[in-house]
Amino acid sequence: MAPEAISDLEFRHLTKRYGEVEAVSGIDLSVPKGAFLAILGPSGCGKTTCLRMIGGFEQPTEGEVRIAGQVVNGIPAYQRPVNMVFQHYALFPHMNVAENVGYGLRQMRPRLPSTEIDRRVGEALEMVRLGSFAKRRTHEMSGGQQQRVALARAIVNRPKILLLDEPLAALDKKLRGDMQLELLQLQRELGITFVLVTHDQEEALSMADLVCVMSAGRISQLGTPQEVYDHPTDLFVADFVGKTNRIPVTVDGGVLRLADGRALPGASALHGSAIAALRPEAIRIARAGDGLPGTVTHRIFLGSFAEYAVAVPGIGDILVTTDRRGATEADLIAPGEAVCLTYDPAAVLVFPQ
Amino acid sequence: MALSAAARKRWVTAALLAPAGLWLFFFLALPFLAILVFSLGERAPAGGYQPALTLANYLNLPARGAAFLNTALLAPVGAALCLAIAYPAAWFLALRVDPRHRLLLVALMIVPFWTSMLVRTYAWMYLLGARGIPQLLEMIGIENIRLINTPGAVLLGIVYGYLPLMVMPIYVSLEKLDRRLLEASSDLGARPMSTFLTVTLPLSMPGVMTGVALVSILLLGEYLIPQMLGGGKVYFIGNALVDLFLQSRNWPFGSAIAVTLVLGVVGVLLITMRIAWKVSGTRQMDLV
Amino acid sequence: MTKDFKDTPITPDRFMTEFMRWKRGSITRRHFMGVTGLGLATAVLSRFPGAGVNPAFAEDLGTQMAIATWPNYHDPATFENFTAATGVAVEVNVFGSNEEMLAKLQAGGAGWSLFVPTNYTISTYAGLKLIDALDLSKIPNFSPSTQNPRFTSEGMVDGTTYALPKNWGTTGFAVNTAELKAPLTSWKDFFAVAMNEADGRAMVHDYQLTTIGSALVSLGLDFNSTKPEDLAQAEKLLLEVKPHLFAINSDYQPSMRSTDAWMTMCWTNDGAQLNRDMPEIAYILGTDGGEIWTDYYAIPSSAPNKAAGYALLNFLMDPAVAVKEHIANGAPATDSRVIALLPPEITSNKIVYPDEASLTPLEFGAAATLTDPGRAELMARFKSA
Repeated sequence: MAPEAISDLEFRHLTKRYGEVEAVSGIDLSVPKGAFLAILGPSGCGKTTCLRMIGGFEQPTEGEVRIAGQVVNGIPAYQRPVNMVFQHYALFPHMNVAENVGYGLRQMRPRLPSTEIDRRVGEALEMVRLGSFAKRRTHEMSGGQQQRVALARAIVNRPKILLLDEPLAALDKKLRGDMQLELLQLQRELGITFVLVTHDQEEALSMADLVCVMSAGRISQLGTPQEVYDHPTDLFVADFVGKTNRIPVTVDGGVLRLADGRALPGASALHGSAIAALRPEAIRIARAGDGLPGTVTHRIFLGSFAEYAVAVPGIGDILVTTDRRGATEADLIAPGEAVCLTYDPAAVLVFPQ
Repeated sequence: MALSAAARKRWVTAALLAPAGLWLFFFLALPFLAILVFSLGERAPAGGYQPALTLANYLNLPARGAAFLNTALLAPVGAALCLAIAYPAAWFLALRVDPRHRLLLVALMIVPFWTSMLVRTYAWMYLLGARGIPQLLEMIGIENIRLINTPGAVLLGIVYGYLPLMVMPIYVSLEKLDRRLLEASSDLGARPMSTFLTVTLPLSMPGVMTGVALVSILLLGEYLIPQMLGGGKVYFIGNALVDLFLQSRNWPFGSAIAVTLVLGVVGVLLITMRIAWKVSGTRQMDLV
Repeated sequence: MTKDFKDTPITPDRFMTEFMRWKRGSITRRHFMGVTGLGLATAVLSRFPGAGVNPAFAEDLGTQMAIATWPNYHDPATFENFTAATGVAVEVNVFGSNEEMLAKLQAGGAGWSLFVPTNYTISTYAGLKLIDALDLSKIPNFSPSTQNPRFTSEGMVDGTTYALPKNWGTTGFAVNTAELKAPLTSWKDFFAVAMNEADGRAMVHDYQLTTIGSALVSLGLDFNSTKPEDLAQAEKLLLEVKPHLFAINSDYQPSMRSTDAWMTMCWTNDGAQLNRDMPEIAYILGTDGGEIWTDYYAIPSSAPNKAAGYALLNFLMDPAVAVKEHIANGAPATDSRVIALLPPEITSNKIVYPDEASLTPLEFGAAATLTDPGRAELMARFKSA
């Protein structure tokens, strides 16, 4: 990703209120041209409202939306150089696949010659591998195929920004994985900015090169997937992006102390009650050794890795994920076994309570 | 005796359909059969029916040719006028009104329909009469306006009377229209008018055609409004039927006209359904 | 109703009055229900609690009966009093036309024990055996000697009495003399003025008997003619006048009251009511002819409670009862005992009780006129032209 001087999409103190309710609260954001931005957050965090303000379906209460440097406030959806892939696709039921895909082209003024429309519809359908489905009725197609029609319908207009509203939510897991790859490939081919809204952190981390975590109408963190995952700026992000063990501690002179007074490896500049966050995969589990003693209560075998729930006296249940690479059957620990947990103290992140 | 699952299912289906089926048989099929038999009979000397087997009543249909022609004009024109007024109203109700007020406005639209059509038409007789609107117009210097007993008064009465029947099915089909389709259309660059013509209108066609069918079919039998607001000077099939059954009591001829009218109604239904299916791409009718 | 109504737009009170009149089914003598095809409206007069059976009635009268009649044709107190006297509750069914009554009786199961047909239907009913010859011994209040034979004769078929007169009336025309200054005396005048001074202001009945009959009379032909050549002449006149008409409608009172219409074919009682409320509306009997009619009481053969039917008929023939009926509906009486009891302002009303001379040219409608297919088809052509 090479950020350019002109950002394709920019929010300036963007605010949206519905009566008393503030859905989006003064957001500032700049997305470089050609980026794949994922807006991630739980439902009601304002992410969809943001997307709809880009699309032109909602108008900001305050602040600005800029597309390619131009303020687009007040410009209706049909005049914006963006296209959207709707949740549940919103395909026109009274049109066949080709008519759906060509819809945007037929709206262009001056009118495009019909041969040009046919050619571009054909290209778009080829791009989403639906070349032979042009005459199909959309309700005769599977969810994945409908998804591709929706994609083709959006990209055929060559938008500056492609908006995707939970595009994969209705697909099953296998299909979702395939579509993620296809979307990435499509974005590389088209070279345009993608803005994806999702509540699925895996989806956001795996596809986007820029992740914007939202909570309660505000941006909690903006960064690359690695930054967001490894260096969450607050407990909400740490919790929402990936799994995290939350251990209540008291920070006293830089030392983390558990409720029973024991010291927990790690350090913090905070003072007083705090929460120590520790990723399950940062913890090593062994049958013996130095560290936090505990007992395995559950083991979940997940093929390429295993997940253990370990009861640690004075803390509670700690989740540990182990990579199976190089491990043998004998390395798997059974529930009931006593274990010892160790970790790199640097992996502990401490947040105020 | 144990019934097979399939047999039991058939019995349940039959039991569920029985009330409607019997109702249709006794109150639709049998009367229609009676009318059909009557239409082949002769008028008794003192009026009524006496058995015969003749097509004379059908051959005599041209004697009410003017009534058929007037009705054939009234039904589509009346339905078209209703549609022209009802569609914007339904569109506004379904897509523009704050949902909090929608129920109230829809109710206001329907409530007058619960009052007898006769009473409402009677009210128009007074409003359009010389002591009604024309007198108000006189006060502002517009004199000698005749409103009552004009074709305009008849059309006004029809539109007023049948509007709810047109508004409701259109409202229903617009109300359940997926709003995201409208956003998708706008997103794809369609101006509002283009969105309306290419998405809203085609997808509301089942409602439109239901309304058109309902209104035109009822208009095929309309006689009250032309009589009361048109001064009885325009003769529709409905008037011809009332006269034949209640005045001259030529039941066989009246029956022949009624049979012909029923065939006309079936024709209207077939045509409107075809159009709705073709345009909307679905096989549904939004019957209220 | 007062005169000031005429000078103002309709008031809420006035509207409600009219509406209530409609609800009672009484806007015109009988035809409103007919033209609107509403069928029948039914009113059940409640039984007086505690009313004992009058010992004067020897037979068991049962507890209820039904009468078929015209809208606004009776004093409601009459039936209440009958119920009080006999314990028989009376259900009143009102109809829009003789044809409807005939159809209902023909179809069977009408359930009436008494009804009110018009003169020209009696012979048809008798011929179809739909009504009984009356046993006059059960109607002691009927007094043949004080009846005007002009009106009793129409109730008899071949010397047998099938029906007793309720009241009579005429069919003339009403003219708003404030709007139409030309003197009108005949049906010839009526049709001539309808095409000139009263262009767009004249109304004819939606009823072939009177509309075609009056057109025939205006041409010097017989009111009851069914001759094709006569009817052809009448048709020519009617088609000629049609474009000039305000309406073809038997419900003419509202239009006359609002002065939308200036002239209309009109029945006696409507004429009297219009003239009472708007003195500028005159009621005129054609010097060239027109209709005189009588409504009768008759008992259907199928009557479920003939005893009560006779009892009510006898009750209605009581001059003390009949006089209230006449005051209520405004139509002229046939019984001199009743006329003697009526207040002079009623008997001196020339609309209700015209001079004998003006009645001379009038004719009773004939049974054949009513059922003639040629006249029915002419009417249909006239209305659809």
